[in-house]
Amino acid sequence: MNDRQEELERLLFDWESGWLDDQGIERLREILKSDADARSRFVTMQMIGAAMQLESDAGLSTTSVDHHATQSSPNSATASSRRFKHLKLTIAASLLVCMFGGWLVYSSVTGGADQPEQIAGTNNDTRDASQEPTAQGVALVTQLVGVTWEDTGGNVEVGDALPPGRFAIQAGHAQLEFFCGATVVVEGPAELDLVSVTHARVKHGRLRAHVPPAARGFSVEVEGLKVVDLGTEFGLSVSDSGANVQVFDGEVELHPHASEPRLLKSGQGVTRTATGVYQDAEVAPENFVDIASLESRAQLQDTAHYRRWKEWSTDLRHDPRLITYYTFDESTDWERRLTCSTMPPNSELDGAIVGAREVSGRWLGKRALEFKQPADRVRVQIPGEYQSLTLAAWVKIDSLDRWYNSLFLTDGYDRGEPHWQILDDGRLYFSVRPVEQGESGPRDFKALSPSFWKPSLNGKWIHLAVTCDVETNTIIHYLNGNVLSRHAVPAAQMPKTTRIGTASIGNWALPTLPDSRFAIRNLNGSMDELALFAASLTADEIKEMYRRGKP
Amino acid sequence: MTESESQEQFVRQLTEHQNRLYGYVYSLLGDHSRAADVVQEINLVLWRKVDEFHPDKPFLPWAFAIARFQVLACLRDQKRDRLLLDAELVEVMSGEVEQQAEQFDVLRSGLRQCLQLLASDHRDLIEQHYYHAKPLSDIADAVDRTVGSIKVAMLRIRRQLADCVQKRLAAEK
Repeated sequence: MNDRQEELERLLFDWESGWLDDQGIERLREILKSDADARSRFVTMQMIGAAMQLESDAGLSTTSVDHHATQSSPNSATASSRRFKHLKLTIAASLLVCMFGGWLVYSSVTGGADQPEQIAGTNNDTRDASQEPTAQGVALVTQLVGVTWEDTGGNVEVGDALPPGRFAIQAGHAQLEFFCGATVVVEGPAELDLVSVTHARVKHGRLRAHVPPAARGFSVEVEGLKVVDLGTEFGLSVSDSGANVQVFDGEVELHPHASEPRLLKSGQGVTRTATGVYQDAEVAPENFVDIASLESRAQLQDTAHYRRWKEWSTDLRHDPRLITYYTFDESTDWERRLTCSTMPPNSELDGAIVGAREVSGRWLGKRALEFKQPADRVRVQIPGEYQSLTLAAWVKIDSLDRWYNSLFLTDGYDRGEPHWQILDDGRLYFSVRPVEQGESGPRDFKALSPSFWKPSLNGKWIHLAVTCDVETNTIIHYLNGNVLSRHAVPAAQMPKTTRIGTASIGNWALPTLPDSRFAIRNLNGSMDELALFAASLTADEIKEMYRRGKP
Repeated sequence: MTESESQEQFVRQLTEHQNRLYGYVYSLLGDHSRAADVVQEINLVLWRKVDEFHPDKPFLPWAFAIARFQVLACLRDQKRDRLLLDAELVEVMSGEVEQQAEQFDVLRSGLRQCLQLLASDHRDLIEQHYYHAKPLSDIADAVDRTVGSIKVAMLRIRRQLADCVQKRLAAEK
């Protein structure tokens, strides 16, 4: 009993640390299902976890300086209650927006009375059935390692849902998870025809299928032969000389088109020659890459990409055009300080992290900051006067649920100060004010890109950049290395010099106007790289940035 | 009671119970950012159903019923991600979670007192990890110990804290 409780606590801790594998999750559920005392203990541990998180949020948003001192002060009861109060304010503020935004969502859902519990989520179109990316998929791409595609294209990314039809790779390994629950590791060169969530045809190539009990009945067809899985793991290779089936675990049913079905058990293999003759064959599981070794290859690839970016990033730090550069990769970042990585170092440009939590970035081991709560932000202070500007960032957007979703904004909005954000409909929005505040003159030019947002971008790392050229009066928005939109700015609306001063990453300082409707503008997502240049980078340079930083 | 008075009551209740809702949702999801999102969704649903709100009827059972529903919806929608509990467990545990979430404020103040009772280096470990979101590897590096030994220490301190909190909750009843 006590051992079991200890095991549960260890499993839960591993879960929180992100170490728990599927087997561990199963074990944890098993314990909870069979033991009422364990359930009660589990809930208490979780409540403590929730309470710690609230204390932490409250503590960090009170002030960005000296909060360590607050925490270890002897009179910590008052310190806590102050933090607590502040939290309430934050919640009240988020609630207001929540309610206001709530009305907005529902008034646009034509009455909405006919969908009692379904809520539209936070982004109007994320639940639009016609746009749901998985709606007509049969399998999900969950791993791509060293894959090269055919020249004719057909590229997909990890996380994409594949519709029925042809799927081909020239080299490398792809892991597909069929919606029925079967997982297939495909080794290139290979060509498949995905027929349904339970069925695929193999033209040529090598694959290993892992079929848990829930997905029993998953079948693969090759010329003259159908392989029906009865809950197991098997390998299949198809070439011009014939097809070879090997059962590693469990059993499969072979359905030759011309003769009776035959049961194949663990450790048995069969080859069907091109002429249709069946022969017993040896079983060699090591010839088929399994899920676990693909996972470790994926990690190696991940590490290689991380290293590739790191090399490039180390060079970039010396670029004299940099105003500031945050790699989110310095070991001091957890000290609630976002280190400026430009060379030579300039700690004056370090950012102060407020609220935002450290999460995992584009690669295993790479850090990122997550902006969730309305107060989350990184404060920076960047002196100087500049001319043209480029802003570039890697972000992962959870949803565009604020009217204005901040990327980088100066505190005020005075002459030459840039504001870079995303509207809730997915348009990128960049503007620089051309005249001093209070001074009459031309209005600012709002460079609004077409909407780039689609639900399948949710949770993926994307590269966003904008260049503002004060010589040619041009603003260009980029997404993933490609030009999204180009804007010619009337000369009068483009300031000759730009400046930054105090600014926020991932949020906007609360406006001083009494009307606080726009106050909640934090990015709902994560960022793991941000660079500001005192120049307008070329399209090739932006493309290179994307290429080198691509996860 | 006028409509605006009733709405004001509603807002007061909703604000007052935010933390309980967070405790409820986090207990079942075990993921802070997902829990924060689900609480926002619950707020939206509650606000949309404000007509069903009666100041005389208890607010929490109503809110928890909607919370349970939204948690289940979240499990359904997040199939692609790894999840701690499944729908069956959420159903089985929701009663226990409701009970403890109701006591959330008592638990919080108990936790603060229990933290004070810890040895200062233990408290420091907890604060580094939970308040400063410092990964175990960084903590281990800083004190020149292995991640494994920090983990063992952490598990022990967590158990001590949970025991202490449980005792205080029992005394409160």
